Amino acid sequence: MGRTGIKILLLILLVVLPWGVRADDFAQLRREAARITTISADFVQKKTMKILARPLVSEGKFYYAAPSSIRWEYTRPLRSVVVSDRGKTRRYIASGGKMIEDLSGGVQAMKIVLDEVAGWMSGRFDANPSFAASLSEGPDTQITLTPTGQNMAGMIERIEITVSRRDAAIKTVRIVESRTAETRIDFQHVVINKDIHPSVFREVQ
Amino acid sequence: MKKGLVLVCACFVLSCAALPALRPLDRPPVCPAPFLTEKTRLIHAIEAGAAGKTRAVLIGIALADPAARKLSAAVLTPEGVALLEASYGPSGAAVSRALPPFDSGELACRMMEDMALIFFAPAGEPVSRGASAEGETVCRWRAQSKGWVDVLQGQDGRIRIRRYSEGGRLEREIALSGDAQNPYAAIELQASERVDYSLKMTLLEAEEVKSAPQAGREDRGDKP
Repeated sequence: MGRTGIKILLLILLVVLPWGVRADDFAQLRREAARITTISADFVQKKTMKILARPLVSEGKFYYAAPSSIRWEYTRPLRSVVVSDRGKTRRYIASGGKMIEDLSGGVQAMKIVLDEVAGWMSGRFDANPSFAASLSEGPDTQITLTPTGQNMAGMIERIEITVSRRDAAIKTVRIVESRTAETRIDFQHVVINKDIHPSVFREVQ
Repeated sequence: MKKGLVLVCACFVLSCAALPALRPLDRPPVCPAPFLTEKTRLIHAIEAGAAGKTRAVLIGIALADPAARKLSAAVLTPEGVALLEASYGPSGAAVSRALPPFDSGELACRMMEDMALIFFAPAGEPVSRGASAEGETVCRWRAQSKGWVDVLQGQDGRIRIRRYSEGGRLEREIALSGDAQNPYAAIELQASERVDYSLKMTLLEAEEVKSAPQAGREDRGDKP
């Protein structure tokens, strides 16, 4: 396909697909997400970097309870757990066969990330002024977050979030760090609105 | 006055640090050679510690080319955030991405030098061979920058690497706990700096690299 062909194809896509952001798109997402009170899911994370021949695969479990409780647990290749509940975030790392609380400054960075994720889970994709949010509809809804300032330059180019049109649950998060580095997280075995014991968000063993 | 006295004593102690003497052997020992001989990619779980406590658990990726003495490395959090991406070669270390605690640059460069000390054989021929006071066989090299590098092997086959300053102060001690087939299965590094630190590395995956990496070609699979 020549350059002219590609331009025409892009033009058709721009006309046919609803790429333009409408305020009611995000409002609709928030209304649909409001029906979600809990989520539990397995996830598979694939990290792609220039230094790697193939993505580095990590696995874990994810739990969410509205409005902002999260447990983000990696089970392999390293076990680590971040729990966030009632505004308090703690991170645990495996050391000497047991889980110990990470008292380094890293937990503050994770709090920022988890607060953002909690916002996504409740449909608030356009709430963070650090990112410009755009939305496109296809078989699933895709939200693209692009950093608005220079403070993320060289760290994150954009974040793409795929949301199920059926139940507004997040299916995939793709964090594009550069042309050669990205992190893709696929959520599987998603269970919505099934009770999760509060201790899941507080206790780590 | 007291501070001055402490400073004088500290200088005296440091000046007294001396390179351990090697006892000559009837037959010079064969030097231990745990080092990489082929271009290899290694992925380790790293427990980084200071003051006797684990401070962070990280994933370390090293792509080491012993023939060219070049090394690329990345350090990730368990969540996959790249804290450090850097390279090391004959002209030194170059950092392409560094987030705290590596953003000072100094720690990043030290980390790359540590990786080179672990994976690359000292350059040139040993300047002396013998036995340590503990009976280990020792080969001693002049370090490329300055100082000395000893590679020791005990009766049980375990290998240690030690780097000394020019004046003989022990700066790094590395213990390799893997077997002859895979000496990098478990590595413990103890660094003696202004702030001492330790790295406990457990091998997750190692592969010889035959060609240039092609990002995103296929999944690594679920068997680290």
